[in-house]
Amino acid sequence: MIHLWIGALRLFIYLVNMNAKNSFYLMGKGNGEETIIAHGVRMEGDFQSGGNIVIEGEVHGSIKTQGDLRIGDAAVIQATIESANASISGTVEGNLKVNGRLELASSAKITGDISVEVLSIAPGATVNGQVSMKGAVALE
Amino acid sequence: MYYYVYDDFVQGQKYEREMALVETRLTDLEIAGKIARLALFRDPKESIHEAIQAGAKTIIAVGNDQTLRHVIDAVSDAEVVIGIIPMTKENNMIAEILGIPLGVAACDVISQRMVSSLDIGVVSGHRFLYSALIQTSPEMKIICEDHFTLFPPKKSVVEVRNMTFADKVTRAANPTDGKIEIVIRNEGRSIFGHKSLATLVPLKQAVISTGGTTVDLTVDGELFEGEEFHVSVLPSRMKVITGKERKF
Repeated sequence: MIHLWIGALRLFIYLVNMNAKNSFYLMGKGNGEETIIAHGVRMEGDFQSGGNIVIEGEVHGSIKTQGDLRIGDAAVIQATIESANASISGTVEGNLKVNGRLELASSAKITGDISVEVLSIAPGATVNGQVSMKGAVALE
Repeated sequence: MYYYVYDDFVQGQKYEREMALVETRLTDLEIAGKIARLALFRDPKESIHEAIQAGAKTIIAVGNDQTLRHVIDAVSDAEVVIGIIPMTKENNMIAEILGIPLGVAACDVISQRMVSSLDIGVVSGHRFLYSALIQTSPEMKIICEDHFTLFPPKKSVVEVRNMTFADKVTRAANPTDGKIEIVIRNEGRSIFGHKSLATLVPLKQAVISTGGTTVDLTVDGELFEGEEFHVSVLPSRMKVITGKERKF
């Protein structure tokens, strides 16, 4: 019986890992210059990159990348953000400019204006700010 | 012309047989050359400089990672090719990444002379091929390319990497990308207990300040001390002999 439980637990861990990996790798490839800010680390200032960025820690300032951005659920960001695509599960205070697709998970909390081409918002995510999308037509 | 730098430990009885095989193989391959023995002179730099001035085009370290580090420091910016004949399984990560096999088997790889231009990392004047480890202090901050600052958590390890293997939490560091990587390792909590975390930032230069605390700096295995460390990269600076099994 215990073997069955261990097997089920291993399968669960594997599926969680696969899900985490896929959610990042499906975002697309940068130029291989990936930056990771882990939980517990604080970054202050203006950060620019040509590659993908993963943030699980704390950032104050600005983030600009030609690659994709993933913000984890424990991350706390007080910064303006510009990226190709983005996936956000954490807290962001600042304006976002995403040139492609922006995915907000149910745990995402955004305070700031969003400029985006394609937007996906999970139930439970909060957005306090203006959202502008390319191709929008004003109602008469 | 080849020039061989023998480390102190390879001259002991333990390595007598393997060294005889190495020397025979080098002669067979017609790449034998002058030999410098590290224990016989005070400063290996002087001897290597003299060899370069006398026309040495290839400097081979015979020993381990530390032997190669002596050669890298001594060669400086001279237009020479460097290589390694590793003699121990321990302290041998650089040769493994370069794809150089142990002992006499390395002679054939050296004679094939597949040369790669690799970046060299520099920490406060100390050059390194592999990585530098810096002990953290409570007030430590890392000023990156004058644009942003990283503040490592209290219980963490800071590593500056140029050429390393991948591990559970970080990818391999590529010595041909023109950058070094700042890696901050700390621990986080998960539902299964503690888990290893790594911050990874590729860059060209940084200043690591400890806030006045003297901490240990380990460069490719050699120990130094300091309060502030200037970190930079010299892109494609070192011509190094690599094997087909190289890891980058």
